[in-house]
Amino acid sequence: MNRRKFKCIIIDDEKLARDIVKNMLSNNSDIEIIAECENGFDGLKAIQELKPDIVFLDVQMPKITGFEMLELLDEIPEIIFTTAFDQYAIKAFEVNAIDYLLKPFSEERFKSALDKAIKKANSDSPHNLIKEKLSENVITSGEYLKRIVVKKIQKILVIPIEDIEYIEAQDDYVMFMTTQGKFMKKGTMNFYEKNLDPKVFSRIHRSYIIRIDLIKQIEPYGKDSYIIIVNKDLKLPLSKSKYQQLKNSIL
Amino acid sequence: MNNPIINTKNNFLIYSTIWVVISLVQIIILNQILQLPLDYSITDSIAYNVIFYSIGISLWYPTKFMNFERNKFSKIILNHSIVALLTSILWTYVGYYLLIYVIKISGNEIIFLEKSLLYRFIIGILFYLIIVLVYYSNIYYDNFKKNIIKEYELQNLIKESELKTLKYQINPHFIFNSLNSISSLTYSEPTKAREMIIKLSDYLRSTLSTNEKQKRDLQTELNNIKLYLEIEKIRFPDKLEIFENIDSKYLNIEIPSMILQPLIENAIKHGVYESDEKVVIKISTSAENEYLKIIIENNFDNNALPKKGKGIGLQNIKNRLSLMYKQDNLLKIAKTNSLYTAIIFIPLESN
Repeated sequence: MNRRKFKCIIIDDEKLARDIVKNMLSNNSDIEIIAECENGFDGLKAIQELKPDIVFLDVQMPKITGFEMLELLDEIPEIIFTTAFDQYAIKAFEVNAIDYLLKPFSEERFKSALDKAIKKANSDSPHNLIKEKLSENVITSGEYLKRIVVKKIQKILVIPIEDIEYIEAQDDYVMFMTTQGKFMKKGTMNFYEKNLDPKVFSRIHRSYIIRIDLIKQIEPYGKDSYIIIVNKDLKLPLSKSKYQQLKNSIL
Repeated sequence: MNNPIINTKNNFLIYSTIWVVISLVQIIILNQILQLPLDYSITDSIAYNVIFYSIGISLWYPTKFMNFERNKFSKIILNHSIVALLTSILWTYVGYYLLIYVIKISGNEIIFLEKSLLYRFIIGILFYLIIVLVYYSNIYYDNFKKNIIKEYELQNLIKESELKTLKYQINPHFIFNSLNSISSLTYSEPTKAREMIIKLSDYLRSTLSTNEKQKRDLQTELNNIKLYLEIEKIRFPDKLEIFENIDSKYLNIEIPSMILQPLIENAIKHGVYESDEKVVIKISTSAENEYLKIIIENNFDNNALPKKGKGIGLQNIKNRLSLMYKQDNLLKIAKTNSLYTAIIFIPLESN
């Protein structure tokens, strides 16, 4: 039987770090390295174009992190993280990474990670469907988001959290209204509610999260219902249950 | 707190001398001015003054007991008034009975003694007041001294603990990433791997041996930084360029140990780690108005968003410098579009 070769991409900003992965892969005839990338932008492009089976991914890289890169992917290959930082292990587990290799790693450790990845890639399990909700699962272990990474017509933008005015739910997507314009991204309101600083942002409605200091006025709107006035062109609904909560957090 | 008079030999001698002088003055007054016989003058003076001499020592205890910290002022005045009255009456009459019934003076001397009782009582009050005041000033002087020492110790403690928290810590990621690079080099270039191991060891040895209180000469600090940068240069050969312009006459100047390291690390972290392009780190020195200026410059990618954690390291450097040189503003930061400059000022007089 003709054995299938697994396509593999290595993403790391340091050449020596890519080299060691390459070296450890070199005596495995099942693996074909199809690309090496030194940052998340290139990595994203390579994954989208080349559709690899397995990706070795560093976390801290220029411009965007490995995690931020994954958020922008519609379909996620098997990921093996390689990093010197041990604090992302839980996060890696939550994005369903195959393994998490702490630099420096042994050949045995590397091989076991690779074996797991090959097994998973072979099994054709529908894990990619599970990962569709990737961004909802990502929790930033106690730290609030400092920036978001979005795609707009093939361009990747890193938006500081300070630029976000409000977030609106739109089916499987969320829409960010920012000082730089509107951006759409796959994700859920629950994720952003959990991962934005509640002192700065408030979930005012099932479909809205707003920057608290933009709230100019709260007015009653019909029976048991309220409306938040930001300016004369922007009014957002405020649900009854959130009214008391918001009142407490502002006053 | 012990009785200050009998506490030290010196104080005891001074106290005794004062009483000898008082006794002599009294003898002279009685004999020369009041024309009393010399033997009576001497007996009278010694009898009365020996008594107050011993009373004076024991007055320490009520004074110590009635300190201003624990008692109301009015209560203290009232208590002292009563004690002063009783002490003086006691003194006057003990002396009186001693002279009449023990020493058995007679005639004119008894008449003089009886006439002088009121004056003796008033003098007793005065003695009492003076001694108590001396005791109080002693107590306050002592407390004052203790407070100064305590304050000083506290300041030292604060400084020490501050310095401890400001202590430079080796970034573990730097070590692990370097070890990973070494691991990689063992496949491709074993010689280079060995070279990097030695550099990393030298760097670790030098960094771990520093004491946060310590100052080291500029040369040592620069060598340490060079090791660090050379290691990063092996990791990112195309992304890092180092320029040095150090005037060799400053190399012996002492600077706080590991004070430059965080600045270099910032340059690497925000420059090299966050940029796709080449980052140039420039280290130079110059002198300006009695200060040695150590300047660290790096270009950075303006598009990269500032990463978290910025500021704490700089604040630490500032604090350390101000604790060591007791001057503020010894760290200046300037940031333009794509150039980041940090300048440390070392007062030259401190060397």
